[in-house]
Amino acid sequence: MYIEELLLKDYRNYGELEVRFENKVNVILGENAQGKTNVMESIYVLAMAKSHRTSNDKELIRWDNDYAKIEGRIMKSRGPLPMQLVISKKGKRAKVNHLEQSRLSQYVGNMNVVMFAPEDLNLVKGSPQVRRRFIDMEIGQVSPVYLHDMGQYHKILQQRNSYLKQLQVRKMQDMAMLDILTDQFITASAKIAAKRFEFLKLLQQWAEPIHHGISRGLEKLEIDYKPSADVCDGQDLSKMMKVYYEKFDKIKNREIERGTTMFGPHRDDLAFIVNGRDVQTYGSQGQQRTTALSVKLAELELINKEIGEYPILLLDDVLSELDDYRQSHLLNTIQGKVQTFVTTTSVDGIDHSTLREAATYRVDTGKMEKIQ
Amino acid sequence: MHYPEPITKLIDSFMKLPGIGPKTAARLAFFVLSMKEETVLDFAKALVNAKRNLSYCSVCGHITDQDPCYICEDQRRDRRVICVVQDPKDVIAMEKMREYNGLYHVLHGAISPMDGIGPEDINIPDLLKRLQDETVEEVILATNPNIEGEATAMYISRLLKPAGIRITRIAHGLPVGGDLEYADEVTLSKAMEGRREV
Repeated sequence: MYIEELLLKDYRNYGELEVRFENKVNVILGENAQGKTNVMESIYVLAMAKSHRTSNDKELIRWDNDYAKIEGRIMKSRGPLPMQLVISKKGKRAKVNHLEQSRLSQYVGNMNVVMFAPEDLNLVKGSPQVRRRFIDMEIGQVSPVYLHDMGQYHKILQQRNSYLKQLQVRKMQDMAMLDILTDQFITASAKIAAKRFEFLKLLQQWAEPIHHGISRGLEKLEIDYKPSADVCDGQDLSKMMKVYYEKFDKIKNREIERGTTMFGPHRDDLAFIVNGRDVQTYGSQGQQRTTALSVKLAELELINKEIGEYPILLLDDVLSELDDYRQSHLLNTIQGKVQTFVTTTSVDGIDHSTLREAATYRVDTGKMEKIQ
Repeated sequence: MHYPEPITKLIDSFMKLPGIGPKTAARLAFFVLSMKEETVLDFAKALVNAKRNLSYCSVCGHITDQDPCYICEDQRRDRRVICVVQDPKDVIAMEKMREYNGLYHVLHGAISPMDGIGPEDINIPDLLKRLQDETVEEVILATNPNIEGEATAMYISRLLKPAGIRITRIAHGLPVGGDLEYADEVTLSKAMEGRREV
């Protein structure tokens, strides 16, 4: 799939923007602080209905304006699909094919993107929260049921935490109620954990050969899910639930003492392992970057397999951070099959046929024009 | 915009109703001004009467103008079954069906620790009292199929299990008469989960 046309209104530093893109590599040039990343972000937001940079939607609206609008014409294998997202201070309204979507979970997934930005290094070296967010966003792109389950899960978690707090301060004494909330929590947890195991297994299948290639055959990448409770891959739902029950039974009193839920998917993590060592702790900066890149490229393949076409790839300020070999490996991978957006301050020094044929745009203080 | 005081008060009153914002409230208020005086008086009386003469049934908790309510009083109804719902509006929905001939019990809410609503804040104690009467053989849990409704249903079923009463939960899934293709993914996945042998 690719985005043919993008319209922005009062989005970040753009008052009004209308631009057509091509179904190949689109290079966005510009000095610092001109709005390159904002364009990338807007494409991401159009697909995901939230930003990769901030959780506060109000930041997306241009100064002193009431709402921001992003519109895009997406070309899919089945034909064109207009998408529209309006972000106001009160909330978001989304339209697919001119039809208003009552739920955002129905909107997300119509357009697929994979973004690789400098922040993605955090995927490897950042906190577990970053990695959980990553899996949730990625599974959500291909599975609306997962998005729904995740929403339910968070609600149950909040309910359970509230109740544990009330037990902690002895406002409540009823243990039967805690058991019920635990039941609900475990049912939801097992669903989430099972889905994550399944996803990571697939991701690893794609990421391993890619990483092998990028590292010139020197490195073997594994991706492990590290659950906070001892559930493991290959268990069916009922077995997983049994493991959770045993765990929660054991720690009941400690949970009440602390007034919070101590185990479950909201505390799980994943590990990237290269040649048997955890990259987060033992990997070099370069290895961490390569790992993040392999995972992102694996995602392209994964989405292609799940939905039958490649997503749009957004490379924000990352090309310049890779060495020549990795640059050309990356460009070879996407050549001719993935619509890609690249932001950079200059293309000098990158010699690759993909870039020479690319469409080039220049961004200057909230304006954008095609120069090649 | 500056309105004379009586109309400001009227607008403020309309705004207390759910789903009504300042603009709709102003429109309604100006419409009231154009109505005949007797219609307005009837309207006002209807409001006050609804509040004064309606109360909650001391047996089932449904809204009623007599105590016990007409459903609880009706001797033709099956006293062996009680259907537990969250809201008086749910009783009315159930009654529209005209298939159910048992009694009701209205909880007036669902358990939600987040909002500070515990089991004793909804009408559960009264339900337990009603069940001490041995005629009840089945309790149907018809709370909403969301997290709070589900938790409430589970809680009640746990309380009642030892009493040996039959406890059932209403089914959920696809709406009848609807097309499969128009169902959203989540409803479909629930319907798949709840599939049964034919």
